[in-house]
Amino acid sequence: MRLYEYILRRLLLMIFVLFALSLLIFYLTRGLLPPTSALAAYITPRMDDNAKLSVARALGVATANCPSYQAFTQLQSGCVVPVWGQYLTWLQNALTGNWGYSLLPGVAPLTTTWNAFFGRFPFTVELALAAAILTILLGVPLGIISATHSNKWPDHLSRIVSLGGYSVPQFWFGAVLQIIFVLYIRVNGLGLLATNSAVATTCGICFASPGTVTAFTGAPVFDGLLSLNFPYLWDSLVALALPALTLAITSIGAITRIVRSSMVDVLKQDYITLARSKGLKERVVIYKHALRNALLPAVTVSGLLVSYLLGGVVVVEIVFSWPGVGNASLAAANVLDVNFLELYVLVTAVIIVVTNLLVDIAYAFLDPRIKY
Amino acid sequence: MSRSESSDGGRRDATGREADLRYALHLLKGNRLVLVGLFLSAATILLVLLSHLLVDPNLANQQPLALRLCWNNPIINWNIANVKTCPSQLPLGTDAYGRNLLQMIILAIPIDMQIAFEVVASAIVIGVVFGGLAGYAGGFVDEVILRITDVFLAIPGILLAIVLIVVLGRSLPTLTLAILITWWPYYVRLMRSQILSEKEKPYVERLRAMGAGGPRILYLHIVRNAIYPILVQATLDVGSVILTVSALTFIGLTPNPLLPELGNLASQGIANIFTAPWLILFPGLTILLISLGFNLLGDGIRDVFDPKLRR
Repeated sequence: MRLYEYILRRLLLMIFVLFALSLLIFYLTRGLLPPTSALAAYITPRMDDNAKLSVARALGVATANCPSYQAFTQLQSGCVVPVWGQYLTWLQNALTGNWGYSLLPGVAPLTTTWNAFFGRFPFTVELALAAAILTILLGVPLGIISATHSNKWPDHLSRIVSLGGYSVPQFWFGAVLQIIFVLYIRVNGLGLLATNSAVATTCGICFASPGTVTAFTGAPVFDGLLSLNFPYLWDSLVALALPALTLAITSIGAITRIVRSSMVDVLKQDYITLARSKGLKERVVIYKHALRNALLPAVTVSGLLVSYLLGGVVVVEIVFSWPGVGNASLAAANVLDVNFLELYVLVTAVIIVVTNLLVDIAYAFLDPRIKY
Repeated sequence: MSRSESSDGGRRDATGREADLRYALHLLKGNRLVLVGLFLSAATILLVLLSHLLVDPNLANQQPLALRLCWNNPIINWNIANVKTCPSQLPLGTDAYGRNLLQMIILAIPIDMQIAFEVVASAIVIGVVFGGLAGYAGGFVDEVILRITDVFLAIPGILLAIVLIVVLGRSLPTLTLAILITWWPYYVRLMRSQILSEKEKPYVERLRAMGAGGPRILYLHIVRNAIYPILVQATLDVGSVILTVSALTFIGLTPNPLLPELGNLASQGIANIFTAPWLILFPGLTILLISLGFNLLGDGIRDVFDPKLRR
């Protein structure tokens, strides 16, 4: 199989996965509960039955010739649209870009789901990217040090860090960071504890009024950078540091373990012995000869890593009140906002599937033995 | 050497196996981290068994509100203004309902462990049945099973679990089910890849030549030899499942706010994080220790039984 055939096959497979996922999420949110539950988030106590019926029709749950809301709640035949019918209507709307209005608490009335989602999405991308960078910057060197100092104290230390990172509950790690930095070290709030409130709120290492930026991307760090507003950039980075470290802690542990074990394997191989016996410096042997091969298994799991980070944001965003989509997805699930959930799931799935595809292609370039 | 390495279906002579076992135990003894893991997991299991003898489970439903969020442990001073002092000595303080936090943690451990064991055991069964089928049968069956796992692996599991719990109602069985639904695909994949390499071995051909049927060869012989990596993974996953359960209850998907469950106890703490830090610290620390214990144990077992990692 040629490479482009392989890519084409994988992209076709992605369409199947997206279709199946949208069906799964739609069935879960609409198919398992009585049809009135789809309306719950839209109905206010002051609405009369006609208004409720028109809401049900607008959502595609009640048919056009349903005589009354009473008939709808009693599930009279011909009154409730079957789930597959609802799905087809939804699919048609979604494919034409109509994702309905957002039900999230705190958004302006008549904000479309699309705008509500993509207004928050840059924050999540920023957080996940920062965590991915931290994972690579901390995880890979820790793994290398661990392998090159096998069974000496740097190895033990990095194994403890990696196993600890792997075992720590993220919400707890985030909370501990907040307690340490806000309550005891007081990086963010200088000054002593006030008598009534335990936390000082003055800004310690950030700018009190960093000014404004043009919203190029919606993500504060990139906007600050692109607007050349460096106080704003610094403040965004300060705000990002703890959530990103919290999100990264588990994946740092995972990457350290993988890099360590593959590095240990590679260092035992004959070509490394050859490189050493040629008289090459140990640094050259490790970074030029061994590292490239040792990183291959780490590249394979980067697809999993992306999936992991995008899932982890839900908890981390809640702990740090981060205004991203993960935080909103819990609210969306609680009101069974099918449009928001579908959008979240599908966007995430596209990112994960495309990353996996890129990883497989990159693998072929990194390891010439692999053919598709 | 583990049985998965022997090529004759595990029927080695007793002395060889005994020597293997003795060598494995010798390696285990030299590995201090495994001993820590063994100690932590054994302590966890002991607490699971004894929890209802140590603490009366009815205490979870009592709400002595006068004792809310108080602290009286002379060793730890939080250095926070206005911490309420408990009338009697409570080692880990009280929670937002005035219950003794140490007692609640002891009651919580069996609840989390039960979910973890249920999820991991069911995932192993699903993995063995469907992963075995996919790997052994190949072709169309393999393709269908793989594509179904693709769908589940394309979204972050926690999101699917959140939706499932909201729709099915908040209870311990739905929590277990929701986590299982996000967990099984990994086991199917792992089992399948094990079977793929195992089924090419000569003993399978010998069995086939002897006239053994497909299911018999697969589930009685191949699975028996290929299951060790799955069991190691399961040991490692006990910790991960507990992390997931507690994360889900922490973000509010709890059956009952009074339920003594580690994530649930910690979730009271986030609202009081700067006034009563013990409330999130100790339940979280318990989760960390349990999960660390099973991870160390699983890691150590893998190191000992995987000849490639032996030094």
